[in-house]
Amino acid sequence: MFFVNILILSKFMNKPLKKIVIVGGGSAGWLTAGIIAAEHASAQDSGIEITLVESADVATMGVGEGTWPSMRTTLKKMGISETEFLIECDASFKQGSKFTHWITNTHEGYYHPFTLPHGFNDINLSSYWQPFRDKISFADAVCQQSHLGAHGLAPKQITSAEYSFAANYGYHLDSVKFGRFLRKHCTEKLHVKHIVDHVSKINSAKNEDIASITTTKHGDISADLFIDCTGSASILLAKHYKIPFISKKHILFNDSALAVHVPHENEDSPIASFTSSTAQTAGWIWDIGLPSRRGVGYTYSSAHISDTKAEEELIEYITPLIGKKSANAAMMRKIALNPGHREKFWHKNCVAVGMSAGFIEPLEASALVLIELSAKMISEQLPVNRQAMDIVAKRFNSKFLHRWDNIIDFLKLHYVLSKRTDSDYWGDNKNAMHIPESLREQLALWQYQAPYKYDAIHTEEMFPPASFQFVLYGMGFVTQAPHKKRTDQSAKAEALFNENVQRTKQLLSALPTNRELINKIKKYGLPKI
Amino acid sequence: MANHVLLNSTDHQNLKVITEREEKYGDNVWFTLTFPTEFRSVQAYYPIFFNKDSSTGQFYAVALFGFQENENLFLSKDGWQTPYIPLSVARQPFLIGVQKVVEDGEEKEQRMLHIDLEHPRVSQDKGEALFLEFGGNTPYLDNAADILETMHHGLIDSKLFMELLIEHELLEPFSLDMTLNDKSQNQMVGFYTINEDKLKTLTPDTLAKLHQLGYLQAIYMAIASQSNVRALMNKKNEQLGL
Repeated sequence: MFFVNILILSKFMNKPLKKIVIVGGGSAGWLTAGIIAAEHASAQDSGIEITLVESADVATMGVGEGTWPSMRTTLKKMGISETEFLIECDASFKQGSKFTHWITNTHEGYYHPFTLPHGFNDINLSSYWQPFRDKISFADAVCQQSHLGAHGLAPKQITSAEYSFAANYGYHLDSVKFGRFLRKHCTEKLHVKHIVDHVSKINSAKNEDIASITTTKHGDISADLFIDCTGSASILLAKHYKIPFISKKHILFNDSALAVHVPHENEDSPIASFTSSTAQTAGWIWDIGLPSRRGVGYTYSSAHISDTKAEEELIEYITPLIGKKSANAAMMRKIALNPGHREKFWHKNCVAVGMSAGFIEPLEASALVLIELSAKMISEQLPVNRQAMDIVAKRFNSKFLHRWDNIIDFLKLHYVLSKRTDSDYWGDNKNAMHIPESLREQLALWQYQAPYKYDAIHTEEMFPPASFQFVLYGMGFVTQAPHKKRTDQSAKAEALFNENVQRTKQLLSALPTNRELINKIKKYGLPKI
Repeated sequence: MANHVLLNSTDHQNLKVITEREEKYGDNVWFTLTFPTEFRSVQAYYPIFFNKDSSTGQFYAVALFGFQENENLFLSKDGWQTPYIPLSVARQPFLIGVQKVVEDGEEKEQRMLHIDLEHPRVSQDKGEALFLEFGGNTPYLDNAADILETMHHGLIDSKLFMELLIEHELLEPFSLDMTLNDKSQNQMVGFYTINEDKLKTLTPDTLAKLHQLGYLQAIYMAIASQSNVRALMNKKNEQLGL
């Protein structure tokens, strides 16, 4: 009897993974479906079958409208034409973020571009820039991209092939249009099955796996792996499995947002190529330029400001853009945020991707990239059978817990170096009690040595050491000059600084504005090669 | 600055066009636009490659005359040293302008012959006359109009040709590495050529389609034209006295 049991068990454990059910649409569901379907040849009989089940009655919340450069690779791998994507998703080019009023409420600001400092793999230019800190900003000294930002230029020309660039870029996009665009591509090109139905029940197997989900019209739908893309409802991971939520509100206070669409002055108005983030008394305002409009919103801490006061600050921000009358009449959407993440993301045969796994304020647009990274790891490490799944799940959990910590440290870094004293919000942000120990430790070390390669502990870090440099030195942090070493690289550093000046000049004269390029793409499309 | 005007026998009765080939008349170009229906004539003397239009990103075919800007190795003090000059060069200073006309109550586009009055070839006193003394076009002007008409249809056809090349991934970028007789290393980048590996794997259906449109021949003529690079290099060596 005992032997028979083992036999049955191992037969079950070795059954190949053939079918995946994704619960929930939106950017998370469709990106995940597309990434897995593209790699695992879902169009063929031998491939993995992917079904996406979404309710018609669940409104899709637009999660973030900024992507990272990784989105280029993601879209390309899915076989998407960049021209079609740009036009249909009302997308434009994003080259990084610009932070205004973060140091003081009058400080002009600094850039966090997508390009690494010049020669970053050979030399840490930040040490050589330090003596000139009062003459030129860190970003301007070490890369070309902040200059492009200041001139409103695009990261490429009309002759650049789809997805290739003169300066690294991601996108600003309309997230609702993006979800629809992905759905069309996934169902028409990648053979993802689409079921519109309401999930009424989750059915367990003996080993506590999810055996199937019961839907109102389509009955029971079974799968080998279930992916929870149900947003903050998290109906599989949180509701069914009761995986606890770890709040990060004591570190990152912002738990509310007010979002508004702002029209362009006219159809030739410039489109900013950086996400603008302007600090306020109890949070910050995002401003994202799309070809047809701007997406603006205030994310703030409800413990530090009332909704009414927040609304006033947002109106004050948009008044110069659209006039007092329109600003007062603007439709504002209130969004509640719950900063934090689940204790783990992959449990049994269920993995959560997107807001069902966690959410954090959109300060560095981490929402979409986390979806891409999660789907990529699920796809590349897709367990061949149930036996392998537990090990992959364990690795997935450890990798993404680290990623969340890395994001939280990095976002917190933006706040702790502020010199603002105009509200308790900024004071509380600098209180050591609200700063993770890992970040406090890094800040202590960075007084004596600049962040560099050893600061990346894992492969594929969410935020590489270069990003820490841009924010740290953008915020005016001082790292002590290193002692003289036997191999002096200052001549090399000087050559790189000069080269950066030359390249900047070339790019400034060669690149069109973001608006000019978008208009040309609408007319001619980007070349395929 | 160019000054394009509609050509007419009243205002331009005495206008002449200089037909000598010289640098001062704008012949010092290192490549010019061409199109599949012209490939047969072009491939006899010039390498045919593909290039992107810098203001639209659209591909077009080019006949190569040199290896760098302002270098036309076919140009000498005795004029242009080949029997065939590509139409996009030969047409100068004429061009086609589109005018909207209403015909039978319907708006139509009509192609009209225009001239660039600022072009260095345009003269009052020497060159070929455009109009006959007592009205009517000179054979020279009729020929210019024919050239432009051929180009117009050639370019419409070229658009489909380029689209098909891209669709079937038949274009690839390349770099031309040259060692001149003085052992100097030179590299030319930015042009595209036919991807022969891809060409070999085309399905019979695709080949038949390309053939029916006359594009298979054009593709092979473009490939064959590459042997003219050697002749161009020899001219370069000669010019440098190597």
